Amino acid sequence: MKGSMAIFAALFALGIGAAFGAEEWGIEHEGTARFEATVVDILCELTGDCPAECGGGKRQLGLLRDDGTLLLAAKNFDAFAGAVNDLISFCGKRIVADGLLIHDPAMPLFALQFKRLAPDGEWSRANRFFKDWAERHGADKAPEWFRHDPAIKDLIADDGVFGIPGLKPEE
Amino acid sequence: MAGRQSGIRPNEESSDVRGVRAIAAAALMAVSASGAGAADARRVTVTGEIVDTWCTVTEIMYALGTAHHQCAVWCALGGIPVSIQDDDGNLYVILKVEDDDTSVANPGIVRIQTHKVTAEGDLYERDGVRYLIVTQVADDQGIVNLTHDEYGIQPFGE
Repeated sequence: MKGSMAIFAALFALGIGAAFGAEEWGIEHEGTARFEATVVDILCELTGDCPAECGGGKRQLGLLRDDGTLLLAAKNFDAFAGAVNDLISFCGKRIVADGLLIHDPAMPLFALQFKRLAPDGEWSRANRFFKDWAERHGADKAPEWFRHDPAIKDLIADDGVFGIPGLKPEE
Repeated sequence: MAGRQSGIRPNEESSDVRGVRAIAAAALMAVSASGAGAADARRVTVTGEIVDTWCTVTEIMYALGTAHHQCAVWCALGGIPVSIQDDDGNLYVILKVEDDDTSVANPGIVRIQTHKVTAEGDLYERDGVRYLIVTQVADDQGIVNLTHDEYGIQPFGE
C-alpha cells in the first residue's frame, strides 16, 4: 500500500482552492500535467468500431495527444467516479486537460481535475459525475453518492459488502 | 517524398501526383475520423480477478478480494474502468464483453466484480495499457480471494 493517507486526498479532494490547476494527491508516480488533446472513444480508436458521439457515455474515453499517445482518462475529481461524464460532451473535440498523470509501471492513467475547450474555453472542474448524480437523486446525498446510490444499495443488499451472500462483517 | 522518388520536385508536381496526394490525405482524414489508431489485436486467454483499475494501479488502498469488493462496486458504477488482473499482476482493461460494448458502469460487469474469471478475447496494447475485448467468459469461479479477515472493509471499515 502506497500511503493510506493518500486515500482521503485522492477520494475527497473537493473544492478546496479556487485556482484552476491540478493538485497532487500523494499518489506514487503522480505528476501534475496540463496539455491539449482530443477526446476519443478508446474502443473506436483501437478497433475502428465507432458509434456516434463516442457511444453516448457508455464507453471509456481517452485523450489522444499530439504525439499520438493515447491516455486512459480513468478518474475525475469526484469520489469513486470516472471521467466520462466530464468528457463526453467534448467527443472528437480538442480540450485542455489538467490533472494528474500517474506514471505507474503497471500502466499509465490520467485523473482529470479540470478541463476546457481548447485553446481558451472556460475552465470547469471535472466533477460532472456528482452533478449528474445529484440531479437524479438529490444534491444532499451527492457527496456520499456511493452510500446512497440505488443500484449499489441493491447489489450490496443481495451480495453483502464482501460480495458473497451470507458473509457478513463481524459485529 | 513522393516527388523525390519520382524525380519531381515538390513544387513541380504533376496533376497526377497532386491527385494522389489529395486522395491519400482524404483517406487519412477519413480513417482518423473513424479511429485512426486501429491496431492489431492478438487472441489471448486471461485468468484473473475482476478489479477496479484506479485503486489497483494507484494502490491508495488494499484493492483485492472480498476486502475491496464494496469499493470495487462503487468505482465500477462510478464509471471507473474495470480490469482483469492476472496472477502476474498484469492488468487488462475491459472495453467490451461479447456483444455488449458498454464499459462504463455496465451492470453485467459490476455483477462479477471481484470474481475470478477466465476470459478469452482480443488484446490491444497501446502506450503501456493492455485493452481487452472479451469475446467469451469461459469460466467464472465467483469470489475466491478472501481478504477481509486481514484487511477488513476497504477503505473506510464499513
